[in-house]
Amino acid sequence: MRSKNFVEYAILLLFKDKNDHLFSFLIFSFIVFILSSTLFISDSLQEDLLNSIKSQPEIVVENTRAGRAYAMHDGFIYDISKITGVSNVEGIVDGYHYFAQKRLWFHIIGDATLAKDEMIIGQGVKNAMAELYYNEEFHFFTEERMIRLKINKIAPKSTTIISNDAVYLHPNTARAVLGMEMDEYSKLYVSVPNPNEVGNVSLKIVEIYPSAKATTKEDAISAVRHLYYYKGGIFMILYVIALVSFFILLKNQISLVYGEKKKEIAILRSLGFCIKDIIALKFIQNTVVSVSAYLLGVAMAYIYVFMFNAPYLRNIFLGSELENSISFTPVIDVNLLFLIFLFGVVPFLAFVILPAWKIAISDMSEAVKS
Amino acid sequence: MSKIAITNLNKLYNPNKPNAFYALKNINLSIEEAEVVILKGVSGSGKSTLLSLIGGLAKPSSGEILVNGQNIAKLPDIMSSSYRHKEIGFIFQSFNLLEGLSVYQNILAPLSLTSLSKEAINEKVSRAMSLANIEHKQHQTVGSLSGGERQRCAIARAVVMEPEIILADEPTANLDKENSLMFIDILKKFKALHKTVIIATHDTLFDDQNCIDRYVHMRDGEFVE
Repeated sequence: MRSKNFVEYAILLLFKDKNDHLFSFLIFSFIVFILSSTLFISDSLQEDLLNSIKSQPEIVVENTRAGRAYAMHDGFIYDISKITGVSNVEGIVDGYHYFAQKRLWFHIIGDATLAKDEMIIGQGVKNAMAELYYNEEFHFFTEERMIRLKINKIAPKSTTIISNDAVYLHPNTARAVLGMEMDEYSKLYVSVPNPNEVGNVSLKIVEIYPSAKATTKEDAISAVRHLYYYKGGIFMILYVIALVSFFILLKNQISLVYGEKKKEIAILRSLGFCIKDIIALKFIQNTVVSVSAYLLGVAMAYIYVFMFNAPYLRNIFLGSELENSISFTPVIDVNLLFLIFLFGVVPFLAFVILPAWKIAISDMSEAVKS
Repeated sequence: MSKIAITNLNKLYNPNKPNAFYALKNINLSIEEAEVVILKGVSGSGKSTLLSLIGGLAKPSSGEILVNGQNIAKLPDIMSSSYRHKEIGFIFQSFNLLEGLSVYQNILAPLSLTSLSKEAINEKVSRAMSLANIEHKQHQTVGSLSGGERQRCAIARAVVMEPEIILADEPTANLDKENSLMFIDILKKFKALHKTVIIATHDTLFDDQNCIDRYVHMRDGEFVE
């Protein structure tokens, strides 16, 4: 254990040579900032999506034909509601409408609480429509006719993760916009009160309708997790590449700096510092540099993601053509932050200690004479 | 028992290479406690190498160096560093100060290896600065000091741990006559404090100084009469 005097002197020497450490401090902060931002966004989106899935019914049924989603008629609701364990089946109308003027896709969702001539729109849709001066009403053009609808209100910002590209319409209006028949549904929400029955019910649905896809809540949750693991994984690979490049640069830079500082190390050795003391000195200095760079990187990432809503980076995760005004819910995974610390700060220290040790063991008598 | 006893000391540089040469050849020397010894000789005669070996900065190729009866030539790094820290005060020709730090912070360096209280540290630094007559410059960075002031800062740092042995390598080579005479005054203070002092120099200013006990002449790594 080093004395307080030693630690204070190491920090004094660090501040004397602060310019030598500036490069590694800034680059390391930036790498930690990028990775932490990615993890914060990923965790926040995952959390919000998982919460929205948790509020959905136990099974979502979609019909497919030629590998694409295909509408279902009333008969599906009747048959599925007869399966033992099913308490309710709700038909849902949703689909995508191409807004040619802006070359964007709107997510049309049926909502029975709305009147036939009104709609609720998400923040991104509102912005896209406003650019073409659709502030009070909007016209949907289908093959047969033009549908004029009042913009009733804008979906609250807190729901932007799911509502950004959404247009909520009365189900029949939605059918008209999507070109569906009046007894058709895009999805069915199947409620199963007993969690142990969910798997069986899902299998029975597929038995009755082999072309249907029954997605349980558990399946949906794992799909979201896989999606974000995949995106997070790509960033992790990029991070590792960046980190390795950084450490190679760091080693070269530190070797150069310590080479220039050889005389200073020799002076300290002549004053009674042993090799272990020199290594401890450099260890303390670089711990201060790397830990403060790490903390700065994490703090900057927190501000960037949760206060400024991660401009530029968020589009990679949200993948929407619409400008997304989503507010990220602050979610922090302490384990992941610890992992960044472990794979960032520890190699950082290892890479800088080696050149210090090499110089500390070299012949000091010539260096002090020069 | 002598304070320092050197027996059959050799230092070979670049062994097993075509440019191998002996910097010291079969050196035998005894120095008593509180003795002030001048090593005289031209550049390359081996004076600095001998100081480095006595100070534990380098290891001899063969022979032994007994300081207080302990062979410092065989000490591992941690013990030879501790020996330098506690027993030796180095004064170099080029001062070897830590640039960018103040006089006080330079003198503080050896004390950073101790667990002394702030008060004890301040007292030691003040005493060392007073001995070297540099306390009025304690807050100035060493870069802004004159050559003589830098030398006095280096002297204060060398004595702050109150070592028994002071090793000075060409201490007046970079000083004008006035500052060189000031160094002689400090040397007298060392004598009064019963320090063992070894100075490697070819400065004639040290000739016929009554504070000096012995002159040892060196040439080509050997003592000459």
